[in-house]
Amino acid sequence: MSILESVELALKNIVSSKTRTLLTMLGIIIGVAAVIVIVGLGNGLEQYVTDSFSDMGTNTLTVSVMSRGSTRSLSVDDMYEIVEENSEYLDLCSPIAPMGGYVKIGSETISSTSVQGVSEDYFEISGDTVAKGRGLQYSDMASRSKVCVIGAYLDLACFGGNAVGETLRVGGQSLTVVGVLEQTDEDLEEGGADDCLYLPYSTASRISGEISSYTITMRDEDHIDESVAALENALYAVFASDDYYTVTSMAEMLDTMTSMINILVGVLAGIAAISLVVGGIGIMNIMLVSVTERTREIGIRKSLGAKERYIMEQFVIEAACTSALGGVIGILLGDVLSVVATQVVAQLMEETLTVAPTLGAVLMAFGISVGIGILFGYLPAKKAARLNPIDALHYD
Amino acid sequence: MRALIEFKDVCKYYYMGETVVKAADGISFQVFQGEFVAIVGQSGSGKSTCMNIIGCLDVPSDGTYLLDGRDVGQMNKNELAEIRNELLGFIFQQYNLLPKLNLLENVEVPLMYAGVPKKERRERAKVALELVGLGDKMKHKPNELSGGQQQRVSIARALVGEPSVILADEPTGALDSRTGREVLALLQELHAAGHTVVLITHDNSIAVQAQRIIRLEDGHVIYDGPADAPEAVVTPRAAGGFGGVPS
Repeated sequence: MSILESVELALKNIVSSKTRTLLTMLGIIIGVAAVIVIVGLGNGLEQYVTDSFSDMGTNTLTVSVMSRGSTRSLSVDDMYEIVEENSEYLDLCSPIAPMGGYVKIGSETISSTSVQGVSEDYFEISGDTVAKGRGLQYSDMASRSKVCVIGAYLDLACFGGNAVGETLRVGGQSLTVVGVLEQTDEDLEEGGADDCLYLPYSTASRISGEISSYTITMRDEDHIDESVAALENALYAVFASDDYYTVTSMAEMLDTMTSMINILVGVLAGIAAISLVVGGIGIMNIMLVSVTERTREIGIRKSLGAKERYIMEQFVIEAACTSALGGVIGILLGDVLSVVATQVVAQLMEETLTVAPTLGAVLMAFGISVGIGILFGYLPAKKAARLNPIDALHYD
Repeated sequence: MRALIEFKDVCKYYYMGETVVKAADGISFQVFQGEFVAIVGQSGSGKSTCMNIIGCLDVPSDGTYLLDGRDVGQMNKNELAEIRNELLGFIFQQYNLLPKLNLLENVEVPLMYAGVPKKERRERAKVALELVGLGDKMKHKPNELSGGQQQRVSIARALVGEPSVILADEPTGALDSRTGREVLALLQELHAAGHTVVLITHDNSIAVQAQRIIRLEDGHVIYDGPADAPEAVVTPRAAGGFGGVPS
């Protein structure tokens, strides 16, 4: 009697009691579907975060300086010098001077726009390209030119697409628009990535402010630790304390985010997996009932020469087939739910977050469900195999 | 002639708390190849125990049972299963067919456990079903058949593995007298064809259809001889007094 015949026999038994089999499988179906959707959701989330970060560039380091209270301070030139000295690891540098307040265009006041003072290298660092006009130049920095580059949203919404050459006011200072950036988001919207304005950091620091941080790119993404260490050493030399600055790497932040997402997904998948175990217990329960119901059949089979091994095999395979079938249905259900979830997320959040089940998760879910069938089918099968043929034959 | 079944002082004890029940208490007999033997006895005489031991469903507590020269008492569960599969064909009072399988599949079961390839299995099961006159109902389920037909299926199942011994346990017990006679006639045909048949029954009128009768009482053999001898059908209990209450 081959395994194939045992499987055939098991499927015959499963088909002959459809309702019961379906109810038995329910736990497995729900468990597998839940695991697949959750892992898929986690993947989508991770992908989303990775995409957002790679927009910003994973090869960038951010240095925040809190020089208040320190007797020592760091000027922009000092920072450029540090970058220069560590040019083996560090490449481009841009001070970031965020500005509050409003952008005024004619009589209109716009509060949603993000306004930052940056250097001429900033667009290269951020990966933005200039669509119209020109970008910021070194001479703008040196002469504190009253110019700015705006995002595609402002251009279209406030200037009808003809912003270059027009003027606007930031913090009471009149600036001339010299360039418009390429659209980065799919949709132009208020407060989005394209609702932005960049001016020379030197101009910005004259108007309101403070240079709060520096964005620096690394030459090689594989030397994050060395790059961070080089920067920190240089900064420590300036401040003689590590209380006044922090160096953050985008790659590290991405790693942190990703591992947080993974932990979250792991915990959720673990909770979902509990229902797989519950499903397994359900299978064991039904198999025990089935052994009792089929005591006479077992007796007959034994009297006709079935060894304990065959009886055992029959019940274990039946349990495994039941849970494998449940696993397959669960996988299909999980895939359908993933598609639904993607649609729901798209509707609710206006973001594209693709819930994508991975092949690994699908195979693992299937493997676990078969394993659970075998594990929880074992006990009832053992009970069936051990039945005394005489008692079993006379069982009613 | 070769002794197929050989009981030498076979005993079977059951323990019920403190008391020991001697279901078989030193039973000895031989059944030779090609014989048709009826083992007769009232309930409690030990014939069921005898049937279980002959059928290798149970092993003796004491004494030896040789089946085809092999000592069954020394065998483990797997070897017993193999022996049942190869050497024995069972016919039960309640037919004991598997309700979910059709007739052909039912008859195939012993061959399946013997490891016969599917195609050969199917052929042999067909031949066996045709032999008992059910060649036209192979795809039917057991519950679509009358009792007599079901018993014929179980005879086909008993035959299909070409066993050394066909063991029939009250084969007519659940049948009316006419179909019972048909089943007995079928057993006699099998005997005539050279099969060794052991029939277990409580009914003298059925037992006399056999060649030879072994009568059991209280775990002992009280008669072993030809079925047509007058003492074969006399129950000593009944001879002792009305109602057959033993002293």
